Amino acid sequence: MFCLLAFIVLGVISVFNAAYRDLAKEAYDCVFRRITLRPCNTGFKEKMQAKLVGKMLSKSVWAARILNKNFELFSWILFLSTILSIFWAGKGLYNFYMYGSCNGLNQTGFCALDPTGENNKISAAGASCGGGSGDESVVTLEGVDLSLFPTKQIGAADTVVMIGCFACEYTRKAYPLVKQLLAEHEANFVFAHYPVKEGMMDLLDMEYCAEQQNPDLYWQLIDRLLTMDVAALTDVAQIDGVLTELGYDVAALRACEADPQTTVGVTARRIELEKTNIYGTPLIFINEKGLVGPKPYRVYERML
Amino acid sequence: MTDSYRADFQILEGDALIYFDNACQTLRPKQVLSAMNEYYEQYPACGGRSMHRLAARVSQQVDQARARIARFIDARDKKEIVFTRNTTEGINLVAHSLGLRAGDVVITSDKEHNSNLIPWQVLQQKLGIKHVIVATDQDGLLDLEAYQHALTQGVALVSMGYVSNLDGVAQPVERIIQLAHAAGAKVLLDGAQAVPHHKLSVTQLDVDFLAFSGHKMLGPSGIGVLYGKSQLLAELEPFLVGGDTVAFSTYTSHEFLAAPEKFEAGLQDYAGIIGLGAAVAYLEQVGFDAIVARELELNQFLTKELTTIKGLHLIGPQDPSLRSGIISFYVDGKDHHKIALMLDEVAGICVRSGQHCVHSWFHDRRLAGSVRASVYFYNTLAEAEVFVTQLRKVLSVL
Repeated sequence: MFCLLAFIVLGVISVFNAAYRDLAKEAYDCVFRRITLRPCNTGFKEKMQAKLVGKMLSKSVWAARILNKNFELFSWILFLSTILSIFWAGKGLYNFYMYGSCNGLNQTGFCALDPTGENNKISAAGASCGGGSGDESVVTLEGVDLSLFPTKQIGAADTVVMIGCFACEYTRKAYPLVKQLLAEHEANFVFAHYPVKEGMMDLLDMEYCAEQQNPDLYWQLIDRLLTMDVAALTDVAQIDGVLTELGYDVAALRACEADPQTTVGVTARRIELEKTNIYGTPLIFINEKGLVGPKPYRVYERML
Repeated sequence: MTDSYRADFQILEGDALIYFDNACQTLRPKQVLSAMNEYYEQYPACGGRSMHRLAARVSQQVDQARARIARFIDARDKKEIVFTRNTTEGINLVAHSLGLRAGDVVITSDKEHNSNLIPWQVLQQKLGIKHVIVATDQDGLLDLEAYQHALTQGVALVSMGYVSNLDGVAQPVERIIQLAHAAGAKVLLDGAQAVPHHKLSVTQLDVDFLAFSGHKMLGPSGIGVLYGKSQLLAELEPFLVGGDTVAFSTYTSHEFLAAPEKFEAGLQDYAGIIGLGAAVAYLEQVGFDAIVARELELNQFLTKELTTIKGLHLIGPQDPSLRSGIISFYVDGKDHHKIALMLDEVAGICVRSGQHCVHSWFHDRRLAGSVRASVYFYNTLAEAEVFVTQLRKVLSVL
């Protein structure tokens, strides 16, 4: 068992350090002989055991004796640990490639490949922008009436639903990737503003009315809102400037915002969004599969 | 005493290393290294062939080394010194040049180094010579009665290790040679473990051939010596032939030089030869009296201490004075390789483990191998004490 363990460990180490390659070859020879039902007569195990026990002997006679006496047992334990570690490392790599997180889809635990958790960061619902917590496994589009939301319907088989907040840096990080995805692949696109940052509630009515007033201009508007300076989002004059620049009738928008029917429409959207079990932005559904936080582009692309 | 010489061995500076593997090869003093460096730095040329000043100096230095080595073993003539790569090559030279034929008998003991076993096995298979092995007794000494009996079979050559690398036991070579000569046989001695450790006179021994290595006597590796009586060397056919072995050649014929040149084919290891000359000079300076005394002192101490360890068995006689600087042992239930590796790991103690190229002896006795500690004049009692302490520690764990 020790030879197999040593072969695995030394094999990995020797990829990075040539000094261990001869030992790895010796371990391989030993493993090969065992596999082919021949005795391992290379003395590799004895050599390594003596070296390890010798090192331990310099520290503690007692510990060295225990190690020497139970060397095979320790080998088994380390071997199983190594196999489990390799399995989990492989699973982590797979998850990272597939979902942008070592721990699986929307899992926020520590990931060595994304140590700061950038791929899972969200702006929490009901709080100022920051790390949110919730149950990633229950985000869903089931029962959600998407017809209430602005939709760029191109009759494609795939649908991307982006629920984000204009001022959320993680929504803003994901947005260019979603844009790229839509540019490179045919997909219907649904956008919903879900305010999680201070002052963003004020934009709910405005963006609702803007969509009502001119659905075509709406997509240019959200593009501007998601890319402009965040501080400008709470500056009415600057927002009005953008609207005017895009060709909106600002006075009509103001009137729309004051209309009680707007509140009804906005509330209806809000109720639908809550059905997704959203707990932070961005929440992106690609063909109904929910992704919380900005993922690498490959993850979005893979889901189409 | 010999402690003052430790300063000449750079590797022994500090306490990081205890070198007890001198039977394999010894360390080299700075004088040997300097002599070799001097060759490479100041006159790195061909000896004997070119006529320029550098070549002349090489020839002179090689000649001086040859003469010094001849004096060192008390040879009558420096031309009796043939440079080889090592003892093994010296033995092979004799084996293949002596003109042995089918039916010729070659005698060896039962604990020869592979270098003095395999050549005869090969000749037995190739030429049909008869290889007779004479047993040794419990103390590692040749059974002289059996030997005398073997000599009655029309023996061509007795090829014997003088001092065994297994147990350090010196054979009664004077008697062995007398008996062999009386029976009309020639004698080749494997002197690898003898020449570095005690004064030896080939003239007094009247031995026909003596092979030994530089690396076991402070000299460089890759250089060795075959001594042969002038008359015998003249009769031997060269083993390797080519450049520097002939005085003259045509497209169809050649005329060999006299010994030793006819045996030294190709460009020689000049640095090695010069280094070996320096090593001999160094050994002469230390003196064999001091060397023998230090080895005995250490072996007595080690023997006394090791024989108190339960389950430890010494190979060879219990009397340390009969085992030169070698202490070879095995311990019941303990792996010899592990012992050696752990001694190295724990305290930087270098010893040999395994069958020491005497596989046949171990195989015959169904022993896996042994640990061999071999001391030389630069080793100290303090080192021997550390060795014993650490060995006990290692054995307590294994």
